[in-house]
Amino acid sequence: MNRRPYLIATIAVALLALTCFTLSPENSARTKRLFSSFYTPLFSAQKTAQTTSDYLANQVIPRKTLLKENTALKRQNEILELKLRRLSILSHENRILRQQLKMQPKPEWNPRLSRIVGRDPSNWWRSIQIDLGSSDGVKIDMPVMANGALIGRVQEAYLHRSRVALLGDPVCRISATIAETTETGILSSCGGTIYDPTLAELLYLPAGTKTRVGDEIYTSGFGEVFPRGIHIGKILALENTPGDLTTKASVKLATNPSLLNEVWVLMP
Amino acid sequence: MKAFLTLTILLVALITTHVASAWRLPVQVLGTQLDPLPPLMLVIALRAPITTITILAIFGSLTQSTLSSNPLGLSLLPLYVLGFTVHINSPNLSHHHTGSRFALGAIAGALIPLMSLALLLLTNKEPLIGWFSLWQWSAGILSSGLMAVIFYPLIEWLDKSVEEQPLAAPFDTTTTIIRHRRFHE
Repeated sequence: MNRRPYLIATIAVALLALTCFTLSPENSARTKRLFSSFYTPLFSAQKTAQTTSDYLANQVIPRKTLLKENTALKRQNEILELKLRRLSILSHENRILRQQLKMQPKPEWNPRLSRIVGRDPSNWWRSIQIDLGSSDGVKIDMPVMANGALIGRVQEAYLHRSRVALLGDPVCRISATIAETTETGILSSCGGTIYDPTLAELLYLPAGTKTRVGDEIYTSGFGEVFPRGIHIGKILALENTPGDLTTKASVKLATNPSLLNEVWVLMP
Repeated sequence: MKAFLTLTILLVALITTHVASAWRLPVQVLGTQLDPLPPLMLVIALRAPITTITILAIFGSLTQSTLSSNPLGLSLLPLYVLGFTVHINSPNLSHHHTGSRFALGAIAGALIPLMSLALLLLTNKEPLIGWFSLWQWSAGILSSGLMAVIFYPLIEWLDKSVEEQPLAAPFDTTTTIIRHRRFHE
């Protein structure tokens, strides 16, 4: 047996693996962006197939169901318009008060709808692929929401796609505040997240915390990555060991990302 | 090197990894993602030359890591080690029956996640692991065995379809007959 090709292949693979592991995060992201372009035709084909299947599914819905849905949506729209009018008055008032107090104006966020096109192929990370990329204005660390609650942040932005690290992923740790007590902690993954994606942990709460089971959690706005006040979930249980300086709380996230098809990217 | 076969295998790797990422049913039913690269590498290592194995390990791992939070090329070494080991020992491995193909696929599906996880931990990453990971690993082993059973005839068919096959001859076709020359000239 000629051993030369085996030796050359082994050395080449070892060198490439070593290069991959020692690459800087920027170069690694750049290489990933390059190799992600191989999937572009497949993602385009997937989008076309989804659009076609949606169109075909819409064609078979009975007219009666559509009319019923339309009436319900009209009513909901009227209620929401009333609420929006009230909120816009409050927002205007808030802006004037902030100006009078010489406080910085709050940034406006423009939500943009995006479809989920893929999930992390590894079981030890929790991330999704969405069909908006840097060409659509998506940037790293932009908040991603669904059903009125935060689900994660943009981790990598490619040209026509982005990868979103979900809450509960080890790389997606965020600062969260409990609405009732205004105490702040760090939302992180826990062992149960792998079984139930809506489970997470809130770390570093004060030892004598006044937080109770069922309290609502929101983004704190610290670190200026996420805007303040986005709903995250609620406290499921508290774990306070005597002698510990901090308290740990189990959190039930408001949205289960594995059941979603579409998400909102908050763009400034 | 079988160039057309190599290109076709890379295309199969690209399509299967994309489908595994986009298809939600396995996650909803089994609670785990399917990885088509270990069984594909196993089947390739049994048939193709070392060049194809190396190209598949490099291309497969680099493209798959773009869909994941994994570091770039995390599965490169595990895939190559699997391919190399199987290729070297292919004359001794029984792979002509469905049962043995399933068993080999299952072993491949068991080893690759373990090696990848070891590399992750060695590089100080913090992957999400819990008791449920054992179930995901077991489901991954079974699915890898099943995929090996499916991939084997597929790759065999692709090999026959895209590459020119030598004509069957009852004699040695490599021998050249030289005429008009004396034997001891």
